[in-house]
Amino acid sequence: MTSRRSFVAGSLAATAAFSTSRFAFAQSLPAGYPADYAALIAKAKSEGRVAIYTSTDESQGQPLVEAFKQTYGIGVDYNGLGTTDVYNRVISEGAAGQMGADIAWTSSMDLQMVLAQKGLLETYVSPEAPNLPAASLYKNIVYGTSIEPVAMLYNKNLLKPEWVPKTRAELVKLLQEHGKELKGKIASFDPEKSGIGFLLAQTDLASTSSFWDLAKAFGAAEGKVYGASGAMREKVVSGEQWLAFNVIGSYALQWQRESPVVGVSFASDYTAAFQRVASVTKGAPHPAAGRLFLDFMLSERGQSLLASKGVPPLRMGYKGPLDADEMNKLTGGNMKIIPVDEKLANNMAPRFRADFFQQWKKAMRGEG
Amino acid sequence: MSSTARLQPRAEMRGYRLAVIAALVLFVMTPVGLIIYQSFLDAPFFDKTSRFSLEAYDYVVTDPEFWSAFGTTAIFAFGMVAVAVPLGALLAFLLTRTDLAGRRWLEPIVLVPMFLSSIVLAFGYSVAVGPSGFVSLWLKETLGLRLWSIYSLGGMILIGGLSHVPNVYLYVSSAMRSLPSDLEEAARASGASIWRVSLDVTLPMVLPSLIFAAALNLLLGFETFGIPLVLGDPSGIVVLTTYIYKVNGIFGTPTYHVMAVVAVSLILVTLPLVYVQRLLLRNARRYAAVGGKGARAAPLRLGASGQLIAWGLIGLWLTVSVLMPIGGISVRAFVNAWGEGVRLSDHLTVSHFAQLMETPSLFRGILNTLALAVIGGAFAVAIYLMIGLAGHRNKGPSGALLDYMVLLPRALPGIIIGLAFFWVFLFVPFLTPLRPTLVSLFVAYLIVGLSYGLRIIQATLLQVAPELEEAARTSGASMARSWRDVVVPIIRPGLVGAWSLIMIVFLREYATGIYLMGVGTEVMGTLMVSLLTSGAMDQIAALAFLSIIFTAAGLGLALRLGARIHD
Repeated sequence: MTSRRSFVAGSLAATAAFSTSRFAFAQSLPAGYPADYAALIAKAKSEGRVAIYTSTDESQGQPLVEAFKQTYGIGVDYNGLGTTDVYNRVISEGAAGQMGADIAWTSSMDLQMVLAQKGLLETYVSPEAPNLPAASLYKNIVYGTSIEPVAMLYNKNLLKPEWVPKTRAELVKLLQEHGKELKGKIASFDPEKSGIGFLLAQTDLASTSSFWDLAKAFGAAEGKVYGASGAMREKVVSGEQWLAFNVIGSYALQWQRESPVVGVSFASDYTAAFQRVASVTKGAPHPAAGRLFLDFMLSERGQSLLASKGVPPLRMGYKGPLDADEMNKLTGGNMKIIPVDEKLANNMAPRFRADFFQQWKKAMRGEG
Repeated sequence: MSSTARLQPRAEMRGYRLAVIAALVLFVMTPVGLIIYQSFLDAPFFDKTSRFSLEAYDYVVTDPEFWSAFGTTAIFAFGMVAVAVPLGALLAFLLTRTDLAGRRWLEPIVLVPMFLSSIVLAFGYSVAVGPSGFVSLWLKETLGLRLWSIYSLGGMILIGGLSHVPNVYLYVSSAMRSLPSDLEEAARASGASIWRVSLDVTLPMVLPSLIFAAALNLLLGFETFGIPLVLGDPSGIVVLTTYIYKVNGIFGTPTYHVMAVVAVSLILVTLPLVYVQRLLLRNARRYAAVGGKGARAAPLRLGASGQLIAWGLIGLWLTVSVLMPIGGISVRAFVNAWGEGVRLSDHLTVSHFAQLMETPSLFRGILNTLALAVIGGAFAVAIYLMIGLAGHRNKGPSGALLDYMVLLPRALPGIIIGLAFFWVFLFVPFLTPLRPTLVSLFVAYLIVGLSYGLRIIQATLLQVAPELEEAARTSGASMARSWRDVVVPIIRPGLVGAWSLIMIVFLREYATGIYLMGVGTEVMGTLMVSLLTSGAMDQIAALAFLSIIFTAAGLGLALRLGARIHD
């Protein structure tokens, strides 16, 4: 207990030191920000901290967090959780009137939409809103923060080069024709454990006609399912699995740079892309600091910081690594971006989910 | 005289005893009661629209996935018993009844698997003997051998069984130690082989301890979480605890009522096992009192070939259940890639540890874990001692109630106790400020560790001969004074030993924090589970490695302090 307290005190002192040195910078407002924004900054500073529940890896969020701390001198409690945990925590804490997060930042767009509809998220008109594509904004409540196409990750030493799928159709064909040789060697997201896995499955189901064929072939080949892209990377690099599909593409590109055995392929006929979405929570313990952080995430600087760790920005006019041109080139221009809209909540209808999972489990057993 | 001396203490410390037992009932029954209450609602209990309903029961009993998870859990639990009990009994026989060379220093080593958390074990095994593990690859290259998959129910049972051998060993060896050796010697003299003697003479005499160990392992098998989560889940092998963990995702809304029903179903299975254990414990004590008067056991001679076989078996078991998983974790913690076609030497790095230091939540997790284990462990021992004294020489109905309260939490897996306390700290108004502090985790850990901790304390208390207390009493000391001046000073070394053991238990705990942990209350074990959902395997390996180091330090401390790991 004591050690924890002194640790917190230490980090507070450190941020306080930064805040004085960067004071001048924080006062200059970016273009397009309202004049009373300085009041929001002052209020946020008096709140002193901002708490974030997120499914984004802490290592990816860290440059953004550090820059925010240095710019405003506000401490950041970064709570890395799975997508379902972000959602469950906001629901339970909201019900108890004990909201612990100021920002909910998650890849599970559909779960976030449910939170919005349940009235657990705050309406906030961000001065950055005009810089976002229309499909990245829902009623000034849910904001898209990145565009994330999915990729296929494979082990170059083990998967025959002629087997590497270049399109979704080739992936389906590969699993159907070589299922026996690939038995136990294919990985993908688990829609039961992972919110993003479910969202991707729904998108594939709605946007392609081959979803159940793919699922069936995957099940027949005794495919393995994981709750996170990182777990799939571990298996592909070690050679336990040869190919993983629906892996978050920005991670995959990063891993390709790090490891000589990792190959990445984007399907040129159809590539689903989701958006990481962020919102200010209702009943946030630090409401002004939460708003400030959301704006910072969407600002030009925030988006570049995310890009520096491989999170592709969606801000209009952004040019640099992982910008729209680059992403389009990678995916052959056939990126199907999931829009932030009300329809996402349909995924959550209990009946619909029960039916989907029943069919999914059947497919996983290799039955039709 | 004896009848009045025995009656008096009960009357004297009655207020204290009742207060402690009442507090215990409150702390144990609140989470248990909340779970049972939640199971009879149709929505989370904090949802204003929730009402009494059997809907959740209806859903669960008609869900084929539940029954399949139930069946898998039963197979896993019984399979684990089938592996662990014979091996544990054999190990106990070799170490207590024979002249096995080096058995003195072997004793603490064979207990090591017991102190490793199953989540650390599971990660270690996948790096060592998974399909691309370094041991598997080596076996394939040198001997052309292919191990069968650890990602199967059979593999999980083997790993679970081998890691629970020490739990069996503990109980069976303490029963075997108190056996007189004349029967064994008679059998030996009539020409029976040593293995014949162990099977036909020694084992039948320790049958109660075997049944006890089997019941305990069955219970642990039903509650197991780490091994199925890491090894079984990707292949769709689901057990009851992972079913609970995943059921939220299936509905897309918090399905606490369904989770509660599954927890209740677990209680229905585990409570009878707890009851059997209590029966056996009472009988075992009575039995030991008779058997303890036997002559000092003379060890059976193994002979040269016997020594060799015994050492071979123990060596193989230790290689598989200690060296392999720890080796796996150690390798993974210092490389960023491994597996087929990967030269480990090209990928050596200490960057994972640097990340632990740089990432605030992970660093805090390390500090919190140490604080909970060291400081929390000391508080826990103090509280367990208070409870232990309340039950000390308490033969009345309140003593029986205390026994049940102590055993009840054992019927629930840590993940459920943690969830219940998450609700308690979220919704009980005066407790809410404690939720973001380590106090919330401490209380949950206290309940999870209750039965283990109290068993250690009770065993220590029983060492104090009643004459000593009675002498203090006849010289006019009050009950409280006889405890303070006689009992506690005598058992002080035992308390220090208990502290080091509780420390290890708190160090390795991972399931309790899954729902309870928040910003500021991160702990290493639970961080591993939550990092698994975001896939940060590098940090998981580094945390697992550190947790092994801490556990080893704790174990070293325990041995130095002369902790009695036995009952």
